[in-house]
Amino acid sequence: MIETRRPILGVSGLHKTFRIRHSGIAKSLTAVQRVEFELYPGETVALVGESGSGKSTVARCIARLIDATSGEVVLGDLPLTHIRGRALSKVYEDLQMVFQDTHGALNPRMTVQATLEEPLRLRLHLSRNEREERVRRLLESVDLGPELLDRYPRQLSGGQRQRVCIARAFAVDPKVVLLDEPTASLDVSVRGQVLQLLRRIQKERNVAYLLITHDLALVRRVSERVLVMYLGSVVEQGTTAEIFNHPTHPYTRALLSSAPVVEYGRVKSRLRLTGEISSAVDLPRGCPLAPRCPLVQASCLDSFPPLLQVTPTHSVRCPVVLAGAGAGKDAIAPVREHSATDSTHGRGRR
Amino acid sequence: MSSDPPLAAEQATSTDVLLEIADYSGGFTSQTGVFTHVLNGVAFSVARSTITALVGETGSGKTVTALSILGLLPRTFRRISGSILFEGRDLLKLDDEELRAVRGSQICMVFQDARTALNPVFTIGTQISDVSRLHQRVSKKQARNTAVEVLDRVRIPDPRRCMRQYPHELSGGMAQRAQLAMALVCRPRLLILDEPTTGLDVTIQADILELIVDLNRNEGMTTLFITHDLGIVAETCDAVVVMQYGEVRETGTCEQIITSPRNAYTQMLIAASRFQGVSE
Amino acid sequence: MLPRSLTFFLALAVICMLGIAAILSAFWTPHPPTALETGPPFASPTWAHPFGTDAVGADIFSRTLSATHVDVGITIAVVGLALLVGTIWGSIIGFYGGWADAVSLRLLQVLQSFPALLLAMLVIFALGNGIRNVILVVAVIPLPDYVRLSRAEIRSKKTWQFAEAARLTGRRPIGVLFRHLVPNSMRPLVANASINASWVAATVGALGFVGLGIEPGSVEWGSMVAGGQAAVGSGGWWISFFPGLGIFFLSAAFHLLGDALTDADISRRS
Repeated sequence: MIETRRPILGVSGLHKTFRIRHSGIAKSLTAVQRVEFELYPGETVALVGESGSGKSTVARCIARLIDATSGEVVLGDLPLTHIRGRALSKVYEDLQMVFQDTHGALNPRMTVQATLEEPLRLRLHLSRNEREERVRRLLESVDLGPELLDRYPRQLSGGQRQRVCIARAFAVDPKVVLLDEPTASLDVSVRGQVLQLLRRIQKERNVAYLLITHDLALVRRVSERVLVMYLGSVVEQGTTAEIFNHPTHPYTRALLSSAPVVEYGRVKSRLRLTGEISSAVDLPRGCPLAPRCPLVQASCLDSFPPLLQVTPTHSVRCPVVLAGAGAGKDAIAPVREHSATDSTHGRGRR
Repeated sequence: MSSDPPLAAEQATSTDVLLEIADYSGGFTSQTGVFTHVLNGVAFSVARSTITALVGETGSGKTVTALSILGLLPRTFRRISGSILFEGRDLLKLDDEELRAVRGSQICMVFQDARTALNPVFTIGTQISDVSRLHQRVSKKQARNTAVEVLDRVRIPDPRRCMRQYPHELSGGMAQRAQLAMALVCRPRLLILDEPTTGLDVTIQADILELIVDLNRNEGMTTLFITHDLGIVAETCDAVVVMQYGEVRETGTCEQIITSPRNAYTQMLIAASRFQGVSE
Repeated sequence: MLPRSLTFFLALAVICMLGIAAILSAFWTPHPPTALETGPPFASPTWAHPFGTDAVGADIFSRTLSATHVDVGITIAVVGLALLVGTIWGSIIGFYGGWADAVSLRLLQVLQSFPALLLAMLVIFALGNGIRNVILVVAVIPLPDYVRLSRAEIRSKKTWQFAEAARLTGRRPIGVLFRHLVPNSMRPLVANASINASWVAATVGALGFVGLGIEPGSVEWGSMVAGGQAAVGSGGWWISFFPGLGIFFLSAAFHLLGDALTDADISRRS
């Protein structure tokens, strides 16, 4: 599918390193490197990874909550990376974020009314009555009633708090919303409602979502494209169908094969990674997955692998697996699965 | 609710049942004297050598039930009715000393956040040795050797090194294995796991779940697995107990619950876990 | 939210009574506090003079009552000043960090390395007596506690997501600090202020006692205690006793209030 639309958000060459002191020695922590992607209006792109992948850092760099070390973020035509002050306030009319921790994302000492008024108060010059009316309508748009206006966060349920956060984010009618694990802290039965709400708003307003999460089932359900991150870089990106039906990068395959699925009798065949995630401090040259990868070769340790195209929409950062595969995305290199306790525990064992 | 506690695994006779909870009700009294019901007529059993899942969302009472088994509830909890039979003995009728003998040696519990469940000022080796010396008459040296063995059993790569480490030096996955080791050192008959993999990365979670399943398969470790994640339940558990608002909604084998749930709440939970309510 | 313990209510009651006495005594006392010969000198407590009279026949009850607005007033002024300055200072360095943070911490360390009362006495000795100097000196000494407390609170709360969310509503960082973070950090600061007030009350009294407070001989509890010292030996206990009791109640009440607030804060957090 060729995009004739223009992207609403563009990220290129995004790098973020932190200077830290470790036992008195100054070191460099690479949180994000070489991240590049585009977001089109009305679509949902998922940024997937486990802890330490850098996905939250990418989101915060885009939202200018932290400053990127290098790289460019463009919202529409406007480059964001060096904007400050009043211009930055203006950006937040088009770019918003919904946070993960429903409890910590709301000021405990502000009522729902005050929380929702704040984004309105700072940019629009409305009379008090107009503001109150807007707030009431905002609450309605997230399926909450006006009786909640005087409540404090501790008096709301998790689902209600998240809806208030969503209302707050949409108070200014943004074009791009970053969703940082929007349902992770919610009960299973409530998640569907919140997601459905987000979906509805997206269809009404043609908002683009960047979904940051580790929940693969969620990604499969709601996103059109997926970027898989490991230790700060994107290791694979493609459409949802491509990623879930033809996962290519060893990390993507390890991730997908490990995630539990609500299905009885499924035979699970895992691609295993040895050890645990390396430290992002003083990252060595070479592929970040090298210390754990079952396909690792000498060349993996020498240089940072490039992102190679498998199809126009599907790219993989692993020359080894692609070399073994040949052209075509269907042939995938045989995997040397090693583990002393390789267990394919389906239900047939009882 | 029938008078017989429903059996969570098929074809179990009374000798196969390790834990049996019957008509268990209770609640908490707040500081102002208001009593809130938390559990209402909870009844289910855990068959020997099975992994039984206790599934529910927040407020379902699953953790309170588990803590009741070990008598770890605060004083504000009051039992109204019911019994908890472990190998025929009612745990609720034991006095403090008898209960202490059971805890840690016959029934062990592993908590969600390993790094806070472990004592931060002692090494892993010290903590595990302490547990074995508390319940068994062994020398310091023997206790330490046993500790190394059990750390190996939970597949910690370098057990001797781990012995010398403190909880904060371990990653989340390692800390959870260490906690598991501490629970296994006295070879308990029942292992209770309270959301042991929540908060861990997917790949690490899969490793730990495999470990738990292997312990059950190879050593017959009876396990009560508390979780809200139905994916985990489907892939690791033999029997399932579904709770909501302090009551048991449905029990059955894993196959029954996942493929053909009969209770409306269970059905909703499974559909929600698959995000079936969300449009494409 | 607010503690419900007996301690809290008792302490609050005492402070309220002292507060009322302070306000009242500005308008009326049975006898003018500085009046001489309101009755026979060295008279022990009677109905006419409930606290007795001193060497020049002044009514001790009136004097003690009148001194209430001095001591309570100074205490509140000092604590208010320290709280205001300490909170702003600590919040700013807690939020921004950097060199200001490092320099501030060193400065505070130096300040804290002096024994408090001694420092107060030395500075007043150097600067001279007077209400303004007393307030300034006694406010500066406990400042490090306020600064550190608010710094710690801000540092921990600034990573909470509501602070990030506030940025996204278009607020400048400094707006986030004072509109969102500081109000959420006030609880432990208020508890500390109360306990600090107890120290201040005692210290002001102590300074008055050694003659390094406001003018010696003025109507102030510490000064009055000092004035009655000589009489104690010959049996005139009441001259020092009642002002001393005033210091005690003020100090103890604030301390208990602070304890109750701290306990409530702890049980709320757990």
